[in-house]
Amino acid sequence: MNQLLKQFGTQSGGSTAWIWQRITGLVLVIALFLHYLFLHFLNGGNVTYGEVSGRLAMPLWKTIDITFLTAALYHSVQGVIMNIHDYVHRAMLRVTLVSITWVVGLILWITGIATVIAIKSL
Amino acid sequence: MAKRTFKIFRFNPETDEKPSYKTYEIDVQPAWTILDVLNEIKWFQDGTLTYRRSCRHGICGSCAMMVNGINNLACELQIATMKKDPIVIDPLPGFEIYKDLAVNMDPFYEALKRVKPWLINNDPAPSRERLQSQEEFALMGNSIACILCAACTSSCPSFWTDGEYLGPAALLKAFRYTFDTRDHGLDQRIEALDNKHGLWRCHKITNCFTACPKNLNPTEAISKLQKRIVEEKL
Repeated sequence: MNQLLKQFGTQSGGSTAWIWQRITGLVLVIALFLHYLFLHFLNGGNVTYGEVSGRLAMPLWKTIDITFLTAALYHSVQGVIMNIHDYVHRAMLRVTLVSITWVVGLILWITGIATVIAIKSL
Repeated sequence: MAKRTFKIFRFNPETDEKPSYKTYEIDVQPAWTILDVLNEIKWFQDGTLTYRRSCRHGICGSCAMMVNGINNLACELQIATMKKDPIVIDPLPGFEIYKDLAVNMDPFYEALKRVKPWLINNDPAPSRERLQSQEEFALMGNSIACILCAACTSSCPSFWTDGEYLGPAALLKAFRYTFDTRDHGLDQRIEALDNKHGLWRCHKITNCFTACPKNLNPTEAISKLQKRIVEEKL
């Protein structure tokens, strides 16, 4: 059992998570640029619910924001897990913390997706 | 001769409850290094001081220690280049202290063994040497100049928090063989590299690069190795 716990999360070695964290980092740079450009600059800084919901009602913006949300959550969850791997070396505690991080990330993702999909234009 | 003050880490696990610093005032000659000062203390003032030394020429790597907060070789560090007074000398951080400046290097050598730091090539040996062009040799960069002093590994916070982490020196050695065109052993090393205690623990803070007394760049080597492993996995 202890051996299984020690190996938990190590089968992939880390290369897959590492490359996806770089890819999502790149997606974040582009998505953040678009987010700031459209939300804070192109509309003169006038951020209202009506303006945001109007944009989010469009399928293209739903896709962009879902991509943004997915990239941000994957990137941050991997960042937290990397810190756990750096500092937590007791197998049971590590497994618990990594599991909690994934569950919290998943809940936030589902909540975010549901919100973006549900939004309709006023 | 100039009088300089040295604050040296002292700890004898058989008699001391906790470590302390002892201060020595030494008449330093113009060309002296930190190792000359340690020898002066050991031979003429305080024979109980313990440290490692061997070649005195920056090749064996025995006398690596932390001087004024940066890992370096005691035999290469000229006192004249150091303006700060007192000069503080500590053992390499991240290792168990045997006594004073001598540390237990076992974790360092264990990590090194895990990356199989030797040429792996099962092709029949040619009648003479396995030839390499200058371009092929250049792929390894100056990584072959590593003297295994552990200054880099001991300066790495990832190693401080994870004693099983391979560390920059072992990863630099893995780079040296992975990028050696005569070597075919990546598939035998990949398990140690693509591992929770392997390549992905490096967060590129470049302490290893700052600490290396041979001006090698383990951070860059690790980046190239990470790219190579990802390509291999894809």
